[in-house]
Amino acid sequence: MPQSPSLSAMAKALSRSNEAVLLLCLALVIAFFSLASSSFLTILNIANVFGQASLAVIAGVGVGIVVLAGEIDISIGSIVGAVGVPLVVIMNKGGSLELGIAAALALALMIGLVNGYLSAYLGINSLIVTLGSMFVVRGFLYLYTAQRVIPDEQGLESFYQIDNGRLWATVPYPALMAFALLISFMYVMRCRPFGRHIYAVGGNPDVARLAGFDVKAVKFVCFIISALLAGVAGILLSSRLGSAVHVAGLGFEFQVVAAVVLGGVSLAGGVGSLFGVALGVLILSFLSNGFGMLNLATEWQLVVTGIVIIATVALDEFKRRRS
Amino acid sequence: MSAEFAQMASPAAGPALEMTGISKRFPGVTALEKVDLTLAPGKVHALMGENGAGKSTLIKILAGVYRKDAGSICIGDAEIDVRTPRDALRLGIKVVFQEIALISEFTVAENIFLESYPTNRLGSIDWHGIHRDAAALFARIGFDVDVAAKVGDLPLSQQQMVEIARALAHRAKIVVMDEPTSSLTPREVELLFKVIRRLTDLGIAVLYVTHKLEEVFEIADTVTVLRDGRRISTKPIGEHTEDSLIQDMIGRRIDTLFPRSRNKAESAPVLAVEGLSTARLRGISFEVRAGEILGFFGLMGAGRTELAKAIVGFDPIHAGRIVIDGKPLSPHDTRTGVGLGIGLLTEDRKADSLMLELSVSHNASLAALGEFTNAGFVNESRERGAVQGFVDRFRIKTPSLDQEVEYLSGGNQQKVLLARWLMRGLKVIVVDEPTRGIDVGAKSEIFAVLDRLAGDGLAVVMMTSEMPELLGLSDRIAVMAEGRITTIVNRSEATQEALLNAAIA
Repeated sequence: MPQSPSLSAMAKALSRSNEAVLLLCLALVIAFFSLASSSFLTILNIANVFGQASLAVIAGVGVGIVVLAGEIDISIGSIVGAVGVPLVVIMNKGGSLELGIAAALALALMIGLVNGYLSAYLGINSLIVTLGSMFVVRGFLYLYTAQRVIPDEQGLESFYQIDNGRLWATVPYPALMAFALLISFMYVMRCRPFGRHIYAVGGNPDVARLAGFDVKAVKFVCFIISALLAGVAGILLSSRLGSAVHVAGLGFEFQVVAAVVLGGVSLAGGVGSLFGVALGVLILSFLSNGFGMLNLATEWQLVVTGIVIIATVALDEFKRRRS
Repeated sequence: MSAEFAQMASPAAGPALEMTGISKRFPGVTALEKVDLTLAPGKVHALMGENGAGKSTLIKILAGVYRKDAGSICIGDAEIDVRTPRDALRLGIKVVFQEIALISEFTVAENIFLESYPTNRLGSIDWHGIHRDAAALFARIGFDVDVAAKVGDLPLSQQQMVEIARALAHRAKIVVMDEPTSSLTPREVELLFKVIRRLTDLGIAVLYVTHKLEEVFEIADTVTVLRDGRRISTKPIGEHTEDSLIQDMIGRRIDTLFPRSRNKAESAPVLAVEGLSTARLRGISFEVRAGEILGFFGLMGAGRTELAKAIVGFDPIHAGRIVIDGKPLSPHDTRTGVGLGIGLLTEDRKADSLMLELSVSHNASLAALGEFTNAGFVNESRERGAVQGFVDRFRIKTPSLDQEVEYLSGGNQQKVLLARWLMRGLKVIVVDEPTRGIDVGAKSEIFAVLDRLAGDGLAVVMMTSEMPELLGLSDRIAVMAEGRITTIVNRSEATQEALLNAAIA
């Protein structure tokens, strides 16, 4: 390794680093909307975007881990919706917030166990498994709620504060939580053997098996992490909505998968980073927020989001083919 | 090195590993029959034999990929049981396969410590230590590489060195290398040999699997030859000559393995290639006459497969012309190629040619479907009739025409593919490594088929890295190196040395 890499070499390395490119994109998006709208670049608005993005960051960390392990989890939208029910129902029956949260996470854990067992141990394609559990969970959710919102009747301040509280009246709690979870899992993926096992399993399962890793167990744990993080996002969303909403999280899985892909995580597994995923979420969130500021119809946001995703991935593909 | 044979018998250093009476059967095939092999510390033991001789099976047993049916493996006085690759590594046996088993997205250093990451007190990976220790390992084998580089960015030769460094990281006492030079340039081979000598200096026993004669004479102390799953001989290399090794490997003189039913062709050229250049090829020109077999020889990476793909119109070309029977082939267009009567039997049957889950009949008739089609409907009885004709003619061993080709032996799969092309009435057939992964008996049948095709008036272009089949089957031999043809000679004038020299040029 050269001791002092030249500036041009550093620039080259940066341009090859996916995260650097994403950071640049994010900066461009922010710069564009700052010029286009005077109310965009305010502390309040930026803090709001971070608050809105936090759910997708938290769930994105989970889905990112599953995708890095070479699998996929699209049941997270249903999990986000479902965990609100035990949470709100328990509180409505006089239970504590803590009990409600525990029940919500237990439900998420259960779904994760099933996803993980079917995908990792029985070897059923995880796209099919989680597509199935997405429907099953959503179906039970509709059945239980009779397709109606269950409002929080106790109105605990602590429940309200989970999502709506702000540090120094500025930084939303969910953004803090997303940041803490992101940093922790980035540390795991980079510096703990388990994190490296996830990359190895997704990068080349045969080599991972030869190296003596328990490939199935690694994948199994990834599904559980993903489901639990979706559960956390679901709890935050319930607090935001002040109720358990039967349609909560509908289509959320695709927003998250879009951000994961945009963030440079290969759907083939083994390539990408959680930091990239977070940047992917932020880019999409700022785009959406900026379009709102410009009073652009939400229909157009969908169109632009789709184009951005395809363009980024295509660009990445061309870059790879050239090298 | 040859002066050191006496040392092998020295009682002070017992064998590093002893395999005794190893047998292995697969459904329908005896892959190994009571094979013995003894490895001495600090020595290079070459394991030779043709494709299908049992070399791979033997080392896969050693690596824990296959379980042996009978026999014993001992290290020192203890019998060992290698159930998994992990077991093998724990017992000090490291096998470097042709297909490199590394994670290409990880750095060199991380790949080396994959099995057990060094961690600090908190359980965090000690990245600094990993890089430092990896660099130290490479220093020990005398090889310079950037340990922070991504493995996927390195050439294959360096990835191989990473595998060897992994062996040291696991304190392996036995390193097995499976055809390590098959994709190396001569310079890289030299480097590899230097590293192998370092390993033996460290007291490691090296089992070197190859079918290349010249390498064995350069690097090996002892040679064991396998043929048809049996051990034919184990001798110090000093007791061998090239001829005696070939004799042991093929078991008969070359000329008896290769049937010759035809005389030298005197007809007009059917295939003419003029000044062909592609991304990998430079100014290739040659002609092949009807009834002639032109063999192409070259080291891995010389451009044979690229040439095969370019002349059938599969790959784009930059310059030059390909003329078949007087008509130019439009480049990068396999449809006109097929129309003009040129077909390619690819190197990798499974990936490029066979539809494994389809039947013998459907695989064979694929290229000729048009001939059995009336108004858009395939006339199945005519299709099956034609396929049956080829099954009989080539003696394809299959329970029925409806058998999935996946379950046929390599030799029979190859015959199905030959049938596919011949059904169209070809003028030129290009075969790329026609006997790869085919056992010895079936090989000579493939040779007979190719010989007969030439006898029937086809022009045959054969790409091969197997010296015996090159010398045994070709009428003329073209040698390639780095995308060029370095020489074209008549078979009668060709010698192994001259061909190898031309391939290295």
